[in-house]
Amino acid sequence: MEILNFSAKTLCLLSLVAILAPFLTFPIIQLGKKSIGATVSISNITISFIASVVIFLSIWNVEVVHWQVEWFSIGTRLFTAGVLLNNLSVLMMVLVSGISLLVHIYSLSYMKGDGNIHKYWAYLGLFCFSMMGLVVADSLLLIYMFWELVGFFSFLLIGFWFTKATASQAAKKAFIMNRIGDIGFLIGLIIIYTQFGTFDIVELFGTGGLIDSASIIDGVWISSNSEMPVIWLSVAGIAFFIGAIAKSAQFPLHTWLPDAMAGPTSVSSLIHAATMVAAGVFLLGRIYPLFDTLVLNIITIIGVFTAFMAATIALTQNDIKRILAYSTISQLGLMIAAMGIGAYGASIFYLATHAFFKCLLFLAAGAVIHRLNHYKEHHNLVFDHQDIRLMGGLRKQMPISFITMCIAAAALAGLPFTSGFLSKDAILINSFEWAQGYHGFKKLVPYLLVFTSWLTVFYIARLIFKVFLGKPRYEGITEAPSAMTRVLVVLAFFCLFIAFSVNPLSYEGSWIFEGFIKAGVKRFDDLHVIIPAIVTFVSLAIVFFAYKIYGRNSPKTFPDNGFIYRFSNRAWYLDSGYNLLFVRPTEAISRLSYKFDRLIIDGIVSFLSLIVKNLAAISNWFDHYIIDGLVNGIASLAQKTGDLSRKFQSGKLQHYLITMLTVVVVFFILTYFI
Amino acid sequence: MNIEQIVFYFFAALTLISAFLVVNIQNLVRSIFLFFVTIFSLAVMFVFALADFIAVTQVVIYVGGVLVLMLFAFMLSNKELLSGLRDASESFKIGHFFGLFICLGLFILLYSAISSADIINLPWVKASHAIGQNDNTIYQIGIHTMTRYLLPFEVVSVFLLMALIGAAHLARKEKGS
Amino acid sequence: MIPLSHFMLISAALFCIGLYAVLTKRNAIQVLIGIEFMINAAILNFVAFGRLDKLAGGGQMFALFAIVLAAAGVAVALAIILNVYKHFKTINPEKIDSLKN
Repeated sequence: MEILNFSAKTLCLLSLVAILAPFLTFPIIQLGKKSIGATVSISNITISFIASVVIFLSIWNVEVVHWQVEWFSIGTRLFTAGVLLNNLSVLMMVLVSGISLLVHIYSLSYMKGDGNIHKYWAYLGLFCFSMMGLVVADSLLLIYMFWELVGFFSFLLIGFWFTKATASQAAKKAFIMNRIGDIGFLIGLIIIYTQFGTFDIVELFGTGGLIDSASIIDGVWISSNSEMPVIWLSVAGIAFFIGAIAKSAQFPLHTWLPDAMAGPTSVSSLIHAATMVAAGVFLLGRIYPLFDTLVLNIITIIGVFTAFMAATIALTQNDIKRILAYSTISQLGLMIAAMGIGAYGASIFYLATHAFFKCLLFLAAGAVIHRLNHYKEHHNLVFDHQDIRLMGGLRKQMPISFITMCIAAAALAGLPFTSGFLSKDAILINSFEWAQGYHGFKKLVPYLLVFTSWLTVFYIARLIFKVFLGKPRYEGITEAPSAMTRVLVVLAFFCLFIAFSVNPLSYEGSWIFEGFIKAGVKRFDDLHVIIPAIVTFVSLAIVFFAYKIYGRNSPKTFPDNGFIYRFSNRAWYLDSGYNLLFVRPTEAISRLSYKFDRLIIDGIVSFLSLIVKNLAAISNWFDHYIIDGLVNGIASLAQKTGDLSRKFQSGKLQHYLITMLTVVVVFFILTYFI
Repeated sequence: MNIEQIVFYFFAALTLISAFLVVNIQNLVRSIFLFFVTIFSLAVMFVFALADFIAVTQVVIYVGGVLVLMLFAFMLSNKELLSGLRDASESFKIGHFFGLFICLGLFILLYSAISSADIINLPWVKASHAIGQNDNTIYQIGIHTMTRYLLPFEVVSVFLLMALIGAAHLARKEKGS
Repeated sequence: MIPLSHFMLISAALFCIGLYAVLTKRNAIQVLIGIEFMINAAILNFVAFGRLDKLAGGGQMFALFAIVLAAAGVAVALAIILNVYKHFKTINPEKIDSLKN
């Protein structure tokens, strides 16, 4: 829209304001009173949101603003830092700041009464700052910096209740796995810089940019700067993708996400639904032109596999937040797979819609947990307030949460008239269209995605029915405070199709989709009708089926002892596998090093000290006996000589006589005979 | 070898042997009596040197005076003195070695001096008048005492007096001791 | 006649014996006897040389005087020994070492 006419410079300044406003929460809280934490952070994030909206309205489909300054130089090489505002950036800005704002408001009542709440506001502000910085940075190096900052602040937020062992362990796990991904990112950075000599995104990835103009001749990747064997192109792509895998919790680096549910629910919703995990997909979107077919295939495979795996695990989970966590992993897999098959627009569209309904799901679950916890403390009961098997019949007691969560669940399931329907269909249809040109394994991809979405329907229906339907288990549970419910309602609005498209049934009419490049595949009209129809029909059937099983508190029909159940429940034994493969050996190595240090190094040191001690003893002996002996010997020699001489004065007459005569005799002998 | 020489050597040997024994015998009384033998043999040698009066004087004074004095002083002294004497000279100490060495050394020295000194051929020996066998030495001694050696004679007599008084004073009994 | 050197030798031997007695005996009286031997050796020497001196008769005269002096000396020495015994309670010359050091 061109209603607002700002100059490019103003927009850049506004973007800087949007980034820095949440950052300022941190110093203000540190320097000022602790009680102003809430007001400061909410006002800062509001400022950020308003700035983002303004920028969005000015930039979307209008222009691309790119502004740079010199940052530092090493030798003759110059590094720049700057702001890049294109469709992707501004969409993400609005998304991040908007959802952050809602989560801030929600946290007012969710985190009420927590002793460290000023720290919470500070961390939240810092996290938002780093996320905002991530989406507008124009240089890969800057993105990397903010990438790491996002990982770090998410670590602080996950481990917010650090006195709980699970929370601190989960924070550690998240951070370590993110660091593994960061290595990949760094490798990719290095390869890009070696090949092209710059980090600038526009230069590299823009149309006609350096990557596009680089050519591959005879297995050598040639750019204007240098050349290297073409294998490095794939390596760079895979390296960046590894970073995305860690951040977006794909297989094999996904195990941190379910454990990260140990943090506050508002944090889970912000980080793991809407923002941080989306950073991986965002990165892929930014560097999309880099990927060659091999990498894209790998991306697709991993995305599909993750989606399928996580969905199967979510079927058997009993903790409400873990179900949602695995659901997040699954949906991210879907997004990543969409990137892999080239459905760039569909992937970003799904990113946006997923942000809203997943956030809503988490916040509603948080409301349920909050009320149950309150009830628990009030009545001094002991039970796991997050276990869905111990919930039931909450629809009458918490109506608003119930309705909003249902809407979100419907969006997740991809039922018609929701935003989820549009975006999911975008991906599914695009996948079928993509698979049309291939044979073999690639044909399997769309079917797997469809199957995954049916599994999604089942588990989310199970969740809703177990939590809200049936007879109320506990008397006297009330609705969540208004700060929470109002946020839920706002989010619920964005889960409906209206927010994204005038046409409820066709995704191509969505304005988001129009903002991004179209998938370069042939459009099959039939598919656009058949697939939504079949998928929706089967989804509704599954919902009904789940209702039959779970809705009426009927006894379980699925066995929970079988191998498949356990395999799914234990998350495909991946956690235990990682524990065995990595954690145990590391601990063993650590113990070994400790023993080595104690025995050998300390042993060497004490042996050396023993040698030194013995040397000291030897020196001491030497000094004592030989040197002192020498000195004492001379002294005693003098003394003995004196004594000897003194003995001549014996006082005995005869001795004197003898002495005198000896002298005389000797004298005479010497004189007369010698 | 005529009889003169034999007798002389015999008595020389007797002198030396008895002197040696005097010095080595533990029993003091016996050594004092052997001292008498030494003195007597010495007197015989004086006779061979044609100093008959000296010989007799020697015997009289030594045996009759000194020896008797020693014997009396020894016998009539306290019991402690006697017992102390008995225990005193027991073992052969290293000091004796030195003493022996000195004495032997001195003797060797003197022997070599004597044997290398050709006494017979000394001028004043050749030009001397030796005492004859038949000379009256007593007569000569008497004359010489009163003429030539009068002063030494008087000095000796004063000296004897001093010795007498001194010894008497030294050996007096203290009042109350 | 007996050569003069024989007399001198005997005199020397007697003198050395007397010296031995003086140097090594533990009894003051035996020391005294040693002194006596030494004096007697000298007297023998006097007499031996006196044989050659008819005119002045110095040898024999001085031998006479020596004998007298020896006797006096013995008397005084015995008195001294008596006093020494009174003071030191012993007549072992090795024990009378108040001049020591």
